[in-house]
Amino acid sequence: MSKSKFLYVTYIRTTADKLWDALTNKELMKSYWFNMHQESNWTAGSSWEMKDSKGEVWDSGTILESQRPHRLVISWQHQHHEDVRAEGYSRMTYLIESAGSLVKLTVSHESDVENSDLIAKVSGGWPMILSSLKSLLETGEALPDPRKAA
Amino acid sequence: MARLTTESTVYVTYIATTPEKCWEAVTTSAFTKLYFFGRSIESDWRIGGDIVYRTPDGTVDVQGKILECDPPHYVRFTWHVEMIPELSHLPDSIVSYRIERAGENVVRFTMTEEHPAPLDERLLEGGRWGWPLILSGLKSVLETGKMFKADPPGAPPAMQEYFKELRK
Repeated sequence: MSKSKFLYVTYIRTTADKLWDALTNKELMKSYWFNMHQESNWTAGSSWEMKDSKGEVWDSGTILESQRPHRLVISWQHQHHEDVRAEGYSRMTYLIESAGSLVKLTVSHESDVENSDLIAKVSGGWPMILSSLKSLLETGEALPDPRKAA
Repeated sequence: MARLTTESTVYVTYIATTPEKCWEAVTTSAFTKLYFFGRSIESDWRIGGDIVYRTPDGTVDVQGKILECDPPHYVRFTWHVEMIPELSHLPDSIVSYRIERAGENVVRFTMTEEHPAPLDERLLEGGRWGWPLILSGLKSVLETGKMFKADPPGAPPAMQEYFKELRK
């Protein structure tokens, strides 16, 4: 059992296919992931990278499982901060299920490191990103970056 | 063997709206009926006053007392389930809604369900299952103006197991 875990569920008025596309399409991602995007061909065994708008790699890893449009598992290591990189690989899972006229998205991000700094950091980021994703799919517009306000 | 816990459940969502509009969506029946499984809400929003969530047929689902209230940013109240007989003997939980500005037209909404008295951890599954559905609806209603049609609530497996055990 993982020692640190973040779990989040959101319901979105969309289809499983549209949600899968939004989670894996680089251009769509840029609009709701606050200028970050991911590169991969999204098949099991392929490499995966998270980059900022300048192309710098923040996280990287491997696609462990890919069952379009229902389940994606990524082995995920942070690269930008050395102390977080030292935690090694975490595991991130998207589970997409139909829920009547809605789609249920469950994101779990876990690490075998106790009190993982990576999991603490992503715990603040995921609700923001997934809220922005839901807005994009339901209204056509992602959220403005809350970190630029306040 | 049942494990007791005082762990809180927390859910955060970001909504394209203003704190005032979000407060209205949380505190008036015209809005809650659109996303809270059809529930209406009644309260005078004063400390010590009652708060009630009612089903469409008028049955009291949840009843509580307002502990803290600072419109349009914060409300905290006790939460006692009246409608489900298996849960009505339980000690009160405490629920709070926090609304913070997070940009020109964005709010950060935080729901916290506290359990001051230890509870069978399987009971927490009710909130962990229900809040994401309710608060996904709150966000959609505020951003799209449309009702959020969620499937009617059915107890998650861990709670059904708890109910079964009670009936033994």
